Amino acid sequence: MTGKEKIELLRELCLVCGPTGSEEKVADVIREKLGILGYEYTTDRLGNVIVHISREDAPRFMVSAHMDEVGFIVNEITEDGYLRFAALGGIDPRVLSGKHVILEGNDGTPVQGIIGSKAIHHQTPEERKTAKKIKDMYIDIGVKKREEAESFVSLGTSGTFDSEFVLFGDGFIKSKAIDDRLGCAIMLDVLGRIKDKELPLDLYFCFTVREEIGLSGARTAAQALSPEYSVVLESTAVADLPDVPENSRVSELGKGGAISLRDRSTIYDRGFVRFALSIAEKDNIPVQIKRYVSGGNDAGHIHKSNAGVRALAISAPSRYIHSPACVINEADYFSMGDLLYAIITEFDAEEIKNA
Amino acid sequence: MVINMELKELIISLSSLMSVTGYESHDSDRLESLIGEYFDENHTDKLGNRIFVKKCGKEGAPRILVDTHMDEIGMFVTEIKDGGFLTVTNVGGVDTGILQASDVVIYGEKPIFGVVGSTPPHLQKPDDAGKLREIGELLIDTGYKKEELEKLVRVGTPVGFAPKYSTLAGGQIAGKGFDNKSCVACVVEGIKRAGNRLAGDVYLMLSSREETGRAGGGALTGAYNIDPDYALVADVNLGRTPDTKKNETVEVGGGVSLTLCPVTDKKLTKMTVELVKSKGIKYQLDVTGGGTGTNTPDINLTRAGIPCVDVGLPLKCMHTCAEVIDLADSDALASLVCEFVCSEEIAEVFAR
Amino acid sequence: MLELLRKISGMHGVSGYEKKVSDTLLAEMKNYTDEQYTDALGNLITVKHGKGKKKLMLCAHMDEIGFMATFIEESGLVRIAPVGGIGFAASSYDRVLSEKGVRGVLVPDSRVKPAEYAADKFTIDIGAKDKKEASKKVSIGDVFRFDNDIVRLCGKRVTGHPLDDRVGCAILVNTAKNLANDQTDYDVYYVFSVQEEVGCRGSKTAAFSVEPDVALAFDVTGTGDTPGAAPMACRVGDGAAIKVKDSSVICDPSLVDALIATAKENRIKYQLEILTYGGTDTSSMQLSAGGCSAGCLSIPCRYIHSANELIDLADAEACADLAAAFIRRGV
Repeated sequence: MTGKEKIELLRELCLVCGPTGSEEKVADVIREKLGILGYEYTTDRLGNVIVHISREDAPRFMVSAHMDEVGFIVNEITEDGYLRFAALGGIDPRVLSGKHVILEGNDGTPVQGIIGSKAIHHQTPEERKTAKKIKDMYIDIGVKKREEAESFVSLGTSGTFDSEFVLFGDGFIKSKAIDDRLGCAIMLDVLGRIKDKELPLDLYFCFTVREEIGLSGARTAAQALSPEYSVVLESTAVADLPDVPENSRVSELGKGGAISLRDRSTIYDRGFVRFALSIAEKDNIPVQIKRYVSGGNDAGHIHKSNAGVRALAISAPSRYIHSPACVINEADYFSMGDLLYAIITEFDAEEIKNA
Repeated sequence: MVINMELKELIISLSSLMSVTGYESHDSDRLESLIGEYFDENHTDKLGNRIFVKKCGKEGAPRILVDTHMDEIGMFVTEIKDGGFLTVTNVGGVDTGILQASDVVIYGEKPIFGVVGSTPPHLQKPDDAGKLREIGELLIDTGYKKEELEKLVRVGTPVGFAPKYSTLAGGQIAGKGFDNKSCVACVVEGIKRAGNRLAGDVYLMLSSREETGRAGGGALTGAYNIDPDYALVADVNLGRTPDTKKNETVEVGGGVSLTLCPVTDKKLTKMTVELVKSKGIKYQLDVTGGGTGTNTPDINLTRAGIPCVDVGLPLKCMHTCAEVIDLADSDALASLVCEFVCSEEIAEVFAR
Repeated sequence: MLELLRKISGMHGVSGYEKKVSDTLLAEMKNYTDEQYTDALGNLITVKHGKGKKKLMLCAHMDEIGFMATFIEESGLVRIAPVGGIGFAASSYDRVLSEKGVRGVLVPDSRVKPAEYAADKFTIDIGAKDKKEASKKVSIGDVFRFDNDIVRLCGKRVTGHPLDDRVGCAILVNTAKNLANDQTDYDVYYVFSVQEEVGCRGSKTAAFSVEPDVALAFDVTGTGDTPGAAPMACRVGDGAAIKVKDSSVICDPSLVDALIATAKENRIKYQLEILTYGGTDTSSMQLSAGGCSAGCLSIPCRYIHSANELIDLADAEACADLAAAFIRRGV
């Protein structure tokens, strides 16, 4: 794929609506792309989409990225037709007010709405300083009565941000759902590059569900597949902002994928980390080490599954994740694909074990 | 209801224009191409009010002022920071509660896309949760290096919300800049509908600087220059939502609003209400104890005093990027304006 | 400029009582302008005719903040009302001087904490032993000002009171002097306004009668270069500050652009100013009568409204140079 094609792939994936628990539309796009690439796939009982490139007597190796994104779910329809909601995944209430949203309508067609916000003219000085709580917010779909609202949505209808995919500045991308459609896009990119190649691995590519509320999809996938090695492709929250001291910045945009040493749920395999770093150095692929212990990802369940798994996580440094406006640098997207490709094609189990 | 698609398109086209307070003329050519054809002449005065005139052709006809402000809240750049970030200050009443993770456009040497930064939950400090930051503490991410950015942007460069529009399930529309350019569209539509039935010479003033007009905005000086016989002021009005009080708001979808208060002219308002009733235009009354929060008080106190009627287009979530209006109300406002500028009765009573 | 600044800063000119300043400035301006008059509110308006293509109004205010005697206590202490925005915490125990020449000390009620300081917690102690003696020196309605000379600090920096806005007046005089022999496109109105500190009242009526096409105020502005200051990209010594916005005005963007271009063409040191509080005569001129294109050249100033305001004369000179260059640039 050319750079432009990769960007278009990411755009297509990011703009699909796939809140945690409702990943079907994302899975549809991914299955379509896999079909075009000429891969067979299975969908397991939770909804994970899995590609198996089998090779007997080779190490079982799992690559994963999650399809779901943060969003919200309708939990009350008021008499005057407004929708109350709960968050799906960790969302800072401060990024919600006044945003456009898109819900999955009763008949499957998208329903546009906005998250209402009391006009500043009506706010007390105290309200102007305090963030509203999600339980006090509402979605306005422009109807006046509950019955009218119910013709479009129901309790349990979920939705996500309605936000444009924009290329801006020097190679930056802004979109919703970059966490973790970026990982999905990288997997599709690498699948294209390894097609029909002889590989030293028994390889599984898993597009997982429900990461944002407890890493559920990856857990069952790993339990079923019993990999020996696992690479998780993720986005990591970054604070490379002015006034933030360097040691708290986590990582920086444009300097390559960030490799984790540990986060809140996983201590990553030392040998695997060293192997990845040495491959990157050898092949001149930019990479950085995550400088701050925060967050967690699918590796949290994967590395503890069955008899244990050697885990590696490569994350795209991403500003403002879990908001309608996540920002990444396209160079990191491209170089992470290069790194994953290099790890797979140059895999050496001995080097990892002896490192 | 038959939705007037042309009006909807005009509302969205006008609302997309860049007109941050002080920069009302930024997209002046585009404005002219959208509405210029319906008027005989137009000019911009010293304070940036854009005045479109439509003559009735009668000798000694009264001057009817139709005022509706053109400016929109926004921000000005205050500093260019390392890493390509900008700090800003507000222009008009910007709600910092809606800014984080919003898309903006920085109108520098060329338009630049930007995002207002936010802190992901993963990196938040416990004592920070629940607090809103002051506008000066927020950072706009431009994706440029500081050195490049300094060539494109300076202190004072205006910043506006990126245009984005949605049609909601129930048919209402949501987006930025409806305050007040949706009114501009309705008023133009009304004058267009009036055709050659005008009761006087109509001065449509797209006034400047309403949003920052604590001591009076552009309308104050614009009305002084025009010196009209009487005036209609159209502005958006605070719409009812679940978190507002009924007696402080109007209903979106409830028709055009007419304001009763000490500043609006009693007789002119009464005659306008009668007119609206007789033409079957859907309306609602809005009562306030003091001023109107619009240009009416300024215009009312110009020169020897100018009788004003104050009409409103109900709008939810004012001053956000997701302001909501109902196209039935927009249509009602257009009809009201049409009848008002055609009313010989009103002209007879209020011509000087 | 320092000599002139010292002279006019030494004149009593609390808001509403600007006559002495006005007389001094009139004597100066007679040398450089064609016409001079004083209007009903006391604004001094002086005109230098040019080619008459446009009317340009330059405005600086003559008045200063101060205190007015409201009541004399049995003890001989004088109760006061503030005239303009007084920072009482910064002013306690400062020396003050009445228009009649009576000296005193501004003292707080010692039981009151600085955070609660307000006019009713202060008296002026003129050293009188009782009401009878005090009443011989002070009458109700007498105005007091800070009793502080202008002194020179490092380099071209000076401190004292009032620099707000006698430095603006000095800039206007310098500009008029500089242009005395020029035939400019503009008819230039040099206006020395009254009652700015109590709400920009003088400039409003002056602008109504002058009806300028373009108006430029000259006044001090806050800075972001002292410990604890609100973030602001404006510093003492960094040149003339071209105002973009303050809480009362958005300057005409095309005028701001023209001033920036003028500064660049003439290599005059400048900076851009956005003040998130405060206001000047700019807004009142902008909104007077049919309105005008209004802007402001600011002199960065630390400790505004204290008895020890601080500016860099190089910034003031840059303002005067920029004003002259802007006028010469023409319509």
